[in-house]
Order: sequence, then structure tokens, then C-alpha cells
Amino acid sequence: MLRTLRILPRLALMYLRSQMEYRGAFWIDRIAQIITYASSFAVIWILADRFGTIAGWNWSELALLFSFHLLGYSLGACMSFTQMRQLEEAVRLGTLDTLLTKPVSPWAYMVFSGLNPGYTGHALLGIGMMGWALSIVAVPWSIGWVAYFAGALISAAMVTGATLTMIGATALIWTRSNHLYSLFFGFWELSRYPINIFPTAIQATMLSLVPLGFMAAVPVAVLLGKPVPILGDWAGPAALLAGPFFVALAMRQWRYALNRYQGAGG
Amino acid sequence: MAQIIEARAVSKRFRQHRRFPGFFGALKTLVTAEYTEVEAVTDVSFAIAAGEAVGYLGPNGAGKSTMIKMMTGILVPSAGDVTVLGRVPHRERQANAREIGVVFGQRSQLWWDLPVRDSFELHREIYGIARPRFDENLKSLSRLLDLEPFLERAVRQLSLGQRMRAEIVMALLHDPKILFLDEPTIGLDVVAKDAVRKFLSRVNRERGTTIILTTHDLQDIEEICPRLIMVDHSRLIFDGETAKLRTALGSARRLMLEFAADPGPLELKSARLTSDDGLRKHYLLDRDDVSLVHVLDELGDTTTLKDIALEEPNIEEVIRTFYQRRNAELPLR
Repeated sequence: MLRTLRILPRLALMYLRSQMEYRGAFWIDRIAQIITYASSFAVIWILADRFGTIAGWNWSELALLFSFHLLGYSLGACMSFTQMRQLEEAVRLGTLDTLLTKPVSPWAYMVFSGLNPGYTGHALLGIGMMGWALSIVAVPWSIGWVAYFAGALISAAMVTGATLTMIGATALIWTRSNHLYSLFFGFWELSRYPINIFPTAIQATMLSLVPLGFMAAVPVAVLLGKPVPILGDWAGPAALLAGPFFVALAMRQWRYALNRYQGAGG
Repeated sequence: MAQIIEARAVSKRFRQHRRFPGFFGALKTLVTAEYTEVEAVTDVSFAIAAGEAVGYLGPNGAGKSTMIKMMTGILVPSAGDVTVLGRVPHRERQANAREIGVVFGQRSQLWWDLPVRDSFELHREIYGIARPRFDENLKSLSRLLDLEPFLERAVRQLSLGQRMRAEIVMALLHDPKILFLDEPTIGLDVVAKDAVRKFLSRVNRERGTTIILTTHDLQDIEEICPRLIMVDHSRLIFDGETAKLRTALGSARRLMLEFAADPGPLELKSARLTSDDGLRKHYLLDRDDVSLVHVLDELGDTTTLKDIALEEPNIEEVIRTFYQRRNAELPLR
């Protein structure tokens, strides 16, 4: 365990160095991401500006929701998305086999050897917008509020990482998993908006099967004192516990899938 | 000698979605949930002692790589037991991994965009190799495989032969007790193959590292492995000394008799005539107890005999003959 922890920074550094080999692609990718997210912000701003509020949320509150979502996602996805999306190929080409013959956790090796610096763009944009939103939104500042904010953000990152890991792990059993990411990103788009704008069935799905409601909509509603459908008064603790709960579930599913791994070919 | 690998009645079955042929079959495949079980390894048992070099041979799909994957802890057997150094590999995967080295001929373990040395340094940290031991191993192994000129080069800039040499060196840096190699010479040119074979023989001989090797190249086995395990259709069909494979599979030796003057048709009881060119006659010796002395005895007058040659079939011929017979549905054993 200690040895695994010791090698993780080296793995991350090696990945970073290998990415730097292709500087042009690295910077173009970062700029493209910032433009993509800025245009998404612009759409929400136009909607909020045109209609005043969306389901009782004004533009600055929506900006806090959007930035919380972006920051939580970038923290969780930098440790899971690229790595888990590549798992399908690793299974198909047999490169996962090489990880399984090393005395380290294959999950930890995969995560840290693909720790994606590309999410710095997301994080910077998220932090900038969050700072602006927090300066405008009426926030009941207190140590408890700040602690809850930090805890909910970590929990949101954990929900992201766990969901992406669970999708990736299906490749260990079915060989293919990448088609499930379209499903993830479908709900991911929805999870950037207040959850109360959706029909009850979608709300229930986003709080259970595809738990992306906990990425931002639930914790930010709690932070701003807004009502949360279905969960009601349980929304506060649920947003904090969702991360650890889904991480534990993802770990269990990963182990189960690894034991059923059949390889591909050979 | 202590047995360090034991396989007892090991089977591995893969569950596969049943596919139906044709376009409508493809549609049916989409909506049905029928599965078939494919036997990759069936009831295989063997034991390997410390210091042995064993070739694991068989045609495509015979279950060679599956067996290697079970011994390295990648796959879980469907039935039977595998123990490696007293451990069940899939249950104690990391502890097992610490004491073995694995080389996959078609899957690199090196970091593609970084210098070879970086992958070695990461390996050092993963296996917790003390710096002096690591430096000494790297120096001696690199010298033996002439790797020193490429250590600072990015892996993507290496030739296949250079890369394979680096993979093998990396797998040995932590002094594994057992080295598993899955088709290590695949795609290599003659010179690179020769270097790899000589190196592996030396590692087995001088370091006492147990070697388990799967290959399609029979020369690998002849040069590295005194013992051969052969599988076919998921089952073990031969386990013994490589030199005794011919006897076990019953391949005939070839005899050529050359005469100064054509003696005419010459049928022998001890050998079967296969071609007659007049002065040169070719025979097959089907029975092991027949020697040249028997043939010469039967010939009687040898005054016109100019030359005689008796050839042992090489391993490739033995195996080809075996598969041809199998395909003709003759009894296997």
C-alpha cells in the first residue's frame, strides 16, 4: 500500500512528461475546451437574461451552480474519464494484462498514469466563475457553510469519479463500454441545471441510478437554501454522503468485474 | 528439485454470446441472450521445478496464453488449481507478481513516448528494488543484450528487436524467480531472435531463473527449453523432454541409400520405400528399434553402396506430421 502511494506521483509525472512531447496538441486542446465551456456559459446567461430566472434561480445563482459543476467534474474526471475511456482499448488490445502482472493496484496505476492535466482549463474557468458568482450571490458566510461547501465539492468529485469508473469497469466483463459514456454525458448535460426543472422520473433517476444530481444541483441548492425535490431535508447530508457511498460501490464493482475479466483474444 | 509451479486438473471456460450466421442471424443475435461455453484449457496438469526451462507449445487457440494468464494471476481458472511458488496467483496477485517477470511479445510494458531508462526507473520503484542491486542488474543485463546505446532513446524510436530486448531486461531487473514469456520472438528478424534465444538460455543457466515460454517458433524451444509441454484443442498432449517428442508422437526417421549402380527396386522389411530415383532410394524408418545395423544386415551385399544418410526429423517436422495425422482424424495418442 505504502509502495503504491509512493509510486503514484512518479506515474503522474511520467504521464505529464509524455503529454509534453506533443506540445501543440496539448495547448490547442486546452484552448478548445475553454471555448466550449465559455459558449455553454453564454447559453445559460442568455436564457437567464432573457427570462430573468430559471425555476427560481437567477443568473448569479446559476453561475455558481455551473461553476460548482465544472469544478467538481474536473476534479473527478481528471482521475477517471480519460483513463476509464481507455480501458476498453486496454482490454481489447490486451494491455490491461500487463498491468495485472505488476505488484500494484491496476486501478491506481491506470488513474495516476493518466492523471489528466488537461482539466486545468476546466478548473481555472470554474474557479474564476465561482469567485465572481460568490461575490454577488447572497451567501450566509460561516465556517460551517464553507466546510459544507468544501465537503460537497469533494463529494461531487467522488460521484463523478465513481460513476465514470463504474462505466469503465463494465469493459472488463463486456469488452465494450464506451457507448455508455454517451448516456453519462446525456445526464451530465442535465445535471448543470436546477434539478426542479425536470419531471419527477428524471429527478429520481438523477438521484439514484445515474447519481449526477449530486454533482451540483443538490449541493448548490442546499448551500443557497433552495428546496430539493424528493430528498427534502435529507438533501444536505445526502450530498455529503453520496461521494463516499458511490466510491464504495464503484470499488466493489471494480473488484467484481476484475474477477470476471476474460481478456480478449490470446 | 522443488516444484514451484503446479497445475492440477486446470480448466478454463470462456462464456461467449452465441452468434447466428447471416444477416437475419445477426438480427437474431441482437435480440437473444444465448451463450456458449468455449473450453480454452481442459483438465491440464503439470509441475515445473525451480530452474527448469519449459516450452509451452500449441497451435493458435490451443490455450497457451490462457494458461500463462492463469499462472500470472490475470485469469481465474474455471476448475482445478494453479499454484505458483506456493500461492494461488489470482488470489495473491500482487505477491505473485513481485516474484515473477512477464514478457508479452505483442504488448509493450514500456512508456512509448519516454526514454527506456524512465520505464526502468518506474519498474525499480514499483518492485522496490534497492538502488545498488538495480544499477548492477541494469548494467549486466544491458551489456548482455547490447541495450546500453538505446537507454536514453524514446521507446517509439526503437526497432522491434531493440524494444523486445528492453522488455526482457525490464522483466528481469527485480530478479524474478520465474520468467514467463508469451511469444517473445514474434516478428523479430533472425539476428534479433538469435540474440534473445542466447540471452534467455544464459539467464536460465547462470541465474537459475525458471523460464516458461510460449511460442510458435520451434527453434525457440529447441534452443532454450529442454522440456516441452504441448497442448492441442485445449488439452495437454505431450509433457516431456523436447528430444523425446519424436518418439512420443511417432514421427519416422528418414534414410537415404545411394548406390554406384542401380540395384533395381529394393524393398526392405526394416524401412519403408518412399521414393526411388534409381541410384538414390529414400526410406522412412517407422520403428524406433530399427537401427542402421538392421538395415545393412538386411541389405546383405553392400559392395555397390556408395553413401548412406540417416536423418532425425526436426521438431517442426514432428509436429507438422502430428497435426496432419490429427487432421486426418487418426488416433492422437
